[in-house]
Amino acid sequence: MFKGAFSIWNRDMLVLRRSLFTELLAVVASPLTFYLAFGFGLKGYIANVEGVPYTVFMAPGLITMTAVSAAFDESAWSMWFHRKVQRTIEAYRVTPITVYDIVIGKIISGFTQGAFKGVAVAAVIFLLTGFRVTVAHLAGYLAFIVLGSMIFSCLGTVCGTLLDKPETIGKVQAVVIMPLIFMSGVFFPVSSYPAAIRGYVTAIPTTALFEGSRVALLAGSLNGAYLAILALSAAVAFAGAVAIFNRKIEE
Amino acid sequence: MDSALSLRAVTKRYGTLTAVESFSLEVARGTIFALLGPNGAGKTTIIRILTTLLRPTSGTALVEGHDVQRDGREVRRLIGVVPQENNLDRYLTARENLVLQARLHGMAPSDSRRRIDELLELVGLTGRQHDFPDTFSGGMQRRLVVARALVHRPRVLFLDEPTTGLDPQSRRAVWEYIESLKDSMTIFLTTHYMDEADALCDRIVIMDHGRALVDGTAARLKERMAHAHVYELQFRANADRYETMLGGFPFVRSLRRTGDTFRLCLAGEEYLKPLMDAIGNEDIRKLCLLEPSLEDVFIELTGREVRE
Repeated sequence: MFKGAFSIWNRDMLVLRRSLFTELLAVVASPLTFYLAFGFGLKGYIANVEGVPYTVFMAPGLITMTAVSAAFDESAWSMWFHRKVQRTIEAYRVTPITVYDIVIGKIISGFTQGAFKGVAVAAVIFLLTGFRVTVAHLAGYLAFIVLGSMIFSCLGTVCGTLLDKPETIGKVQAVVIMPLIFMSGVFFPVSSYPAAIRGYVTAIPTTALFEGSRVALLAGSLNGAYLAILALSAAVAFAGAVAIFNRKIEE
Repeated sequence: MDSALSLRAVTKRYGTLTAVESFSLEVARGTIFALLGPNGAGKTTIIRILTTLLRPTSGTALVEGHDVQRDGREVRRLIGVVPQENNLDRYLTARENLVLQARLHGMAPSDSRRRIDELLELVGLTGRQHDFPDTFSGGMQRRLVVARALVHRPRVLFLDEPTTGLDPQSRRAVWEYIESLKDSMTIFLTTHYMDEADALCDRIVIMDHGRALVDGTAARLKERMAHAHVYELQFRANADRYETMLGGFPFVRSLRRTGDTFRLCLAGEEYLKPLMDAIGNEDIRKLCLLEPSLEDVFIELTGREVRE
């Protein structure tokens, strides 16, 4: 079962291995710039945030942001490219694998790339800065990364399935994905929002992701409500991505 | 059960547009079969239905006895598909493209390795197996797509306009591969090239507007035109003026121009005299009666107007 999904995932990993160095360079550059510019450039202006130095506060969010952005990018662009440009999705569809194999293979590829790139950024931040983590906290943090990457990989798959023009995918990234990430606690705590809107922001799955992952990594405590929101969101996103892909392909 | 392919009253509608209407067909095993028709005739829709990419609105389609709707997975196990456009993976080498195909068909690595070596040899790409398809010529890419369709030893091979856009040498090479396969599988081909269908196929169906118009061997279809009067007419000068004039005669059933030479089919022998009276003989260099070709049959059945 799902041998087809594994074959597609395997193909994506082979392609990733070929361009590993340039992929890592590209993926590390942006969060590292944020880290250096905000963490060190604003160091004199920002006091401790929630009891930790700003560079420490920001690091988990940047790693998570890298993972989920990479998951979204890989899934969206890969699905779009294979569907509209190479038309390899059609080549897959005349083999004995099912549409579930195709969509699951692509979602897992996006998720893997996200997790892998998140680890790469974590390693670079660890090596180049004074940021250190407690090893015992990593398992809880990874649970958040896994669920977050899964959600964003599914969202990317939906975009790559539904959107025919590449510029529209770029617009979705600019108008939906980036605000969702930036407003959900990467650079500042959700407690900074006015009380009137804080409840709404807290209900967004990305807040559960960024707030929950930071607390898991820095304090070692798992917020069950946040994990439940993410697990439910991942399940809904997965079911939605599979159904949308199945329906679109049947057209 | 001798039919490799069977379509029974298959209809496909897209909203108000009927692409295929109550189309029925049986293709015997081991046949090289060609489906001909102008753009929009419904050929690709039929291939997409038979390869499980499209569901028919009504009717039944069977491949080797398996229903394409109820038993799609088994159908896909038995077929190889060469689509109109080369949909190779440009980030995989030629060999990796074939390996991925073998994996998607669940082939054991030891079997697929041998098979891929054989196919690369067959299509003359052994020396380029570790190169990426983007570095290949159009003919080489096409040969690789054919090889990919054959990796899992299909029982039915679908070729949707397999030689479109290829130079004559590459076309001949693809023809040779197709001919070399004829004893081991059923081949279902669509093409715009009449010479291709004429040279390769045991049986031809010409369709238009979603319906089959004629069915038979190339020789039998050409016999249908035996009553037709096909002439070649060459002018010394004013070919453009004569083209307009010839196109305006109601008894000219088809007209094709190559330079200053026209190939025209008259509705009957009795129209030769009115034709000659109308065009005179001062600009005529040559006039001769021709054997009808498959293309004459095609134009006769599907008309002269250009399709979008």
